[in-house]
Amino acid sequence: MKKTKMSRRDFMKAGLLTTAAAALGPVAFKPTGLWAATPNLKGPIKVGYQAVLSGTLAGYGAFHNMGVILATEEINAAGGIAGVKLEVEFRDSTLAAPEAIKNARYFVDSWGADFLGGIDSSGQALALAPVMAELDRVLMVTHAATEKLTEEHVFKKGIKQVFRICTPTYQDSNAAAFVAKDLPVKTWSTISPKYEYGYTCWEMFKNTLTKFRSDVSFIADSWAPFGTTDFRAHINTILDAKPQGFYSTEWAGELISMVKQANQAGFFEKVKHVMFPVGAAMDVLEGCGPELPDNVWISGRYFFLYPDDRRNNDWVARFRKRWDHYPAYVSETAYSTFYAFKKAVEESGSKDTAKVIQALEGMTFESPAGKRVFRKEDHQAMYNVPWGLTVSNPKYPFKVMGKQIVIPAGECFNRPPFEGPGTKPPF
Amino acid sequence: MVHRYLTYGLYGAMAAVLIGIGLFSGRFMLYMTMKVMILAIFAMGYNLLLGRTGLLSFGHAAFYAAGAYGLGLVSLHLSSHPLLGIFAGLAAAFVMALVIGFFCVRHTEIYFAMLTLAFGMMVFSLIWNLRSITGGDDGLVGIMRAPLDLGFFSIPLRKANHYYFFVLFFFLLSIFLIHRIRQSSFGLILAGIHENDRRIEFAGISLRNYRLAAFVISGVFAGLAGTLGTLLESNTAPFSAHWSYSAQPVLVSLIGGIHTFAGPMVGGLIFIVLREIIERFTHNWMLWFGIILLVIIMGFRGGVVGALSGFAKQKKTASTEI
Repeated sequence: MKKTKMSRRDFMKAGLLTTAAAALGPVAFKPTGLWAATPNLKGPIKVGYQAVLSGTLAGYGAFHNMGVILATEEINAAGGIAGVKLEVEFRDSTLAAPEAIKNARYFVDSWGADFLGGIDSSGQALALAPVMAELDRVLMVTHAATEKLTEEHVFKKGIKQVFRICTPTYQDSNAAAFVAKDLPVKTWSTISPKYEYGYTCWEMFKNTLTKFRSDVSFIADSWAPFGTTDFRAHINTILDAKPQGFYSTEWAGELISMVKQANQAGFFEKVKHVMFPVGAAMDVLEGCGPELPDNVWISGRYFFLYPDDRRNNDWVARFRKRWDHYPAYVSETAYSTFYAFKKAVEESGSKDTAKVIQALEGMTFESPAGKRVFRKEDHQAMYNVPWGLTVSNPKYPFKVMGKQIVIPAGECFNRPPFEGPGTKPPF
Repeated sequence: MVHRYLTYGLYGAMAAVLIGIGLFSGRFMLYMTMKVMILAIFAMGYNLLLGRTGLLSFGHAAFYAAGAYGLGLVSLHLSSHPLLGIFAGLAAAFVMALVIGFFCVRHTEIYFAMLTLAFGMMVFSLIWNLRSITGGDDGLVGIMRAPLDLGFFSIPLRKANHYYFFVLFFFLLSIFLIHRIRQSSFGLILAGIHENDRRIEFAGISLRNYRLAAFVISGVFAGLAGTLGTLLESNTAPFSAHWSYSAQPVLVSLIGGIHTFAGPMVGGLIFIVLREIIERFTHNWMLWFGIILLVIIMGFRGGVVGALSGFAKQKKTASTEI
């Protein structure tokens, strides 16, 4: 009986100790600064990231991964996100929609991810959007570009969990039309991927360009299925039509194959004005090397020479030091994704999905690609990426952008509510 | 007799475990278990043709996709009632299996396999190219799981743990039906065709009709798997009609054992769980997955179930001899 009963003195001691601990605790153990008022943030912040790591387009996944690892290392070395450690798991999305869904479910339901990132193909992004509503985690899309993701799923259906940090098809087609309107070309043609992304870009390019000029016509199109390695039949179809201009949203390994085979067919001598909306990807520039002709219009979701400011140049230098590569655009979007999450968590003081969404909506943040703003209505990041003409530069073992034209995102991105007059450029 | 009770006991235990999973586990476990059950339905139906009748088809993904797109199109354009969608999917798979089967069952062995492969790839390119109907490479997206409206009451299916029991119901129903089919005189004739088709023909039985019937039945089960898979993932993918997808029930049946009833179920479990485990260790999962499958298929003669039950029988006969 005596043993178990606490004497009055013990009780006092315990009380004093508790009070002292409570008073000292926050000072001794809690971080100070921005997140000082966030006692409810527990455990590591987990981000599940997926991109393509197998097949002919696997080059992209490797560049995603470089950006992811660099961001994780830098954030953790600087004390993590709101004082807690950042943990990342990276999975192969194989570019198939069922795989992307399975990965997302694994990340959230089995591994316990707080945020998701990645996704290369538009088909995957569209299939994943309703799943994100069910899983209720923020997904930051870093590469898939279809405007339907943000216009229909986020804006119309209200799936607030989906954000996109990269430029969408507006950059590939609307901005391309802004460039194309000043070219001496009346007949356009395309070889593009035979899926959502390819169709939607060509459609948008045609619509926007026709608004600028009534004298252009679109005389040939050839659609290459996913996994095409032999483009000769497609190239011949285009050459037979004798167009003045050529526009192609082929990407990664497939674009490299197409450029090489087009060279052999003398394509670039016959068609003078060529536009590759995702030609400024690093794996394409490195993969084509000198075989990519000069004076081809290229763009992307980021180009490492733009903007030419200290933040970007420092980042490119750090990236090169770590990986001995120049950053591809997916490296930048992957890297910046983590800083977007960091800022949103630290501002909202929580990793709770609803609060993070609130913080991300309309949030402005600095990234290597420049200032980004997440548009509140459709969760699309607004920032500028140049279109440029390829040129040889002895400083680089591949072609880079020479002459650059920047069409501001505010001018060439569709605007909410996405239907009716005044929602599609030119404004 | 003892062996029979043991089998019933094992099935009872399996049902109990599956119900337990449905009641107590998290979303990811539910999701993976549903994937296993759907693959098992696909493979068990398929094995009626491969293991029982002795016909190797490389085009069954076409029927899986017929089920998937049948359900998808009905639920997007007509009515999202799940049973109506499943019925439409089964009807589509039935008609397609009847037409394709009509041409294929005239041949056997490699000719049969190549014909089914060709027809399967035809279906795949149709789905791939009819973009305005099937969505092309992107498939049909945004297929929602509407509540199961039975007139006097309705059961919501949106949540994983509700839909789980829906899948479980069809899984157990499929086991029951396939078991009945195998034990029926029809099923015994199929086995006879496998053993010695000349004899069956001499008995005055139309080989072609029986092969066609087996083909259609297995096609309809593939269609059922397709409808359930589509409701689970809420989208369809054109690659579900590709020959590489047709290889899945073949592999799964081989892993489990094509001459056993439970083989395809066990094979499905191994196929999905193994891949999930390997993916957690390495990005190079395809290589390791391939190596381990090779070892299983070469190491266990007659599949995992076949080898284990053979081992059990051997032990029993050894003990009775003593």
